[in-house]
Amino acid sequence: MSGNGDFEPRIVAYVCNWCTYLGADLAGTARLEYPPNVRIIRLPCTGRIDTNLVVKAFEIGADAVLVSGCHPGDCHYTAGNYHARRRWMLFRELLEVLGFDMRRLHFTWISAAEGKRFQQVVSEITEKTRELGPYRPYEAAPAPVEPLTPLPAAARREFPEAEAALRETARKLLAEGTVKVVIGHGANGPVFITRPEDAGRLTWNEHSLANLTAYLKRREVRALGKAAVVVKGCDERALVILEQESQLQRGDVHTIGMACAGMGQPKCDACDTHVPRFADEIVGAGEAAPAEAASGRYAAVEELLQKSPEERLAFWTAEFDRCLKCYACRQVCPMCFCERCLADKNRPQAIDTSPHRQGNFAWHISRAMHLAGRCVGCDECTRACPVGIDLRLLNLALARAAEKQFGYRAGMDPAVEPVVGSYALADKEEFIR
Amino acid sequence: MSEILTREGLREMVDDWLAAGKSVIGPVEVKPGVVLFTPVASAGALRLEGWVRPANSIKEAFFPKHETLYGYRITGNGIELTDPPEAVPEQIVIGAHPCDAAAGPKLDKVFNWDYRDEAYNRRRAATTVVTVACASHDEQCFCTSVGLGPADECGSDAMLFEQPGGWVVRALTEKGQRLFGGAGFSLPALPTPVQAQFDPARIAAFAKEQFDSPFWREHALACLGCGACAYTCPVCHCFDIVDEGNAREGIRARNWDACQFPIFTLHASGHNPRGSQAERQRQRVYHKFVVYPEKFGEILCTGCGNCARACPAGLGILPVVTEISHAEPIQA
Repeated sequence: MSGNGDFEPRIVAYVCNWCTYLGADLAGTARLEYPPNVRIIRLPCTGRIDTNLVVKAFEIGADAVLVSGCHPGDCHYTAGNYHARRRWMLFRELLEVLGFDMRRLHFTWISAAEGKRFQQVVSEITEKTRELGPYRPYEAAPAPVEPLTPLPAAARREFPEAEAALRETARKLLAEGTVKVVIGHGANGPVFITRPEDAGRLTWNEHSLANLTAYLKRREVRALGKAAVVVKGCDERALVILEQESQLQRGDVHTIGMACAGMGQPKCDACDTHVPRFADEIVGAGEAAPAEAASGRYAAVEELLQKSPEERLAFWTAEFDRCLKCYACRQVCPMCFCERCLADKNRPQAIDTSPHRQGNFAWHISRAMHLAGRCVGCDECTRACPVGIDLRLLNLALARAAEKQFGYRAGMDPAVEPVVGSYALADKEEFIR
Repeated sequence: MSEILTREGLREMVDDWLAAGKSVIGPVEVKPGVVLFTPVASAGALRLEGWVRPANSIKEAFFPKHETLYGYRITGNGIELTDPPEAVPEQIVIGAHPCDAAAGPKLDKVFNWDYRDEAYNRRRAATTVVTVACASHDEQCFCTSVGLGPADECGSDAMLFEQPGGWVVRALTEKGQRLFGGAGFSLPALPTPVQAQFDPARIAAFAKEQFDSPFWREHALACLGCGACAYTCPVCHCFDIVDEGNAREGIRARNWDACQFPIFTLHASGHNPRGSQAERQRQRVYHKFVVYPEKFGEILCTGCGNCARACPAGLGILPVVTEISHAEPIQA
């Protein structure tokens, strides 16, 4: 392409130690010439290539990234490449929604015997990238603020019967000693009821949005003794994941399932779990809405995908530029239970702590990826964000990918193997050369 | 200048400031229901009329969430330091409330106490604060409880009073006069301000006397340990210093930090002097109502209520001090 005459693409290649690295080595010992534009970074296995590394490469100015490992069936560790393949399938959809230029990201299988193929792949990628020109995703202009239509005032939703029944249930559980604390919704936020006579502080209305399962892992709450937790159908899906991931045993917690009529949130429109399915008891079944059709579950993200990649990148740039790195999204999430988050580790600093553009992209990509196939769609992150970042769309993008590609929905069925952490030989790999 | 500055007249002035190369920061509805102090490219984007409380604060104008302090480059013989790349343009904050404007003088004290913080001072000096007097308030507002009010002049360079036909302008400082001229007007009457809801002295006494009270543990159960309160607070000013770069060059930057994060006080040894969320919640109240007043003679809170609006768990200064006001003193 004219105008790129002096441009030398910088390509970062993350390769596995056992196949592609040896393939590259073979290309060298066989004196096969290939462009010097590629910087090879050797890792033990593609299964150990954190998607954050791809993001890092773009951060520091890579014009293209190549990820390459052993052919299916050839993994030195039996299945590392299968696990990687599944993660890439999800990761690619996330980057797609974010508006990254997918022509810059390449996946290949190259064996130790394929020096010639390594030469070809690297030459092709270099030429293709040379044509595309330099890549500076973090220099995109943020989308301007669009003219707004005012939000309709939130409708009051009161469920006096369910609220009374909930209080009675809590009072009984505490009085009989079944539990030591009831975690529920109160007038201003979550409340922790330890005495039967305080059960009247529990509320059930349109403000009962918090996913209280996030408190079950907290040290200070655990110190109170066995807990009962008030859950909606959406919240309850988090308990399924927590149990699958060995974070709790269902017998350790008493669940009070609230049959929910919908709280007027975007997620409620396509909800098909209005009534909790595994709770120890169900309260307020008389006032719950019927299950809605599942269509439209991913409508918001599909609408975003109608825009061009450049428009999507501009949209997310504007969103992430507002991020303060207060980590409310992480703290409020029942699935973010790590004792120490990757974002808080600094040896090495995997994610820049700075709330600048790269730091914010890296954080939100990592957060979304760590929730891939785990996010239950409670939308608490979106509610908690003080600057109104539409995090829901990232979660939806990955939930959509998991359902579309693997027929999987997080927290729906405890018997189904989690989508990340498992693999199938039949996983689609048309994007891998 | 006529007695009343029309709405259009004010917006024309804002566009003139922008045309003159000044940066203008004001309330913008970035998406339905989310209003933030944001730099604008034209006056049309500003939400000035009617009472609106942005979710963030104007401290970002003097104390950005991320600021390069200097750059470094490793040369053959040593290290070469470079000044931060960004020049600080003259900036005008418009549409602040008295609870935002009051943050300036409070932050000035802490950024000039034992060390004159150049990065802060140069931005502060380049900033003119145009405040809109509050004609309304919401249930989280409590400025009158901490010694401020809906038309308090502290920290403002000029104050706008909304009238049926536009704005009455009152220039309060030289900076304000440069923008609006020196005309003084009779002050319009304001609606009744929010009623004072607590006595800060009682909160300070409680925080000191009931330092080890189980109150803090119970109160903090709902706290998730995020920084939404501190980052939307006009006067929370803690920061972290980081180096970002590679083996050859990089920057030293400062980023906001918050006392509610578990790692805020974590020592390299693994010891954490504020190891529980209860201690961290207590710290936030204690700093605002005891530590800062003892050092600087005023409360480190302007009553804006942003913490409570931002908190995903319904906590914040007003909720906690209301609870304290009702709490029974516990005998030691």
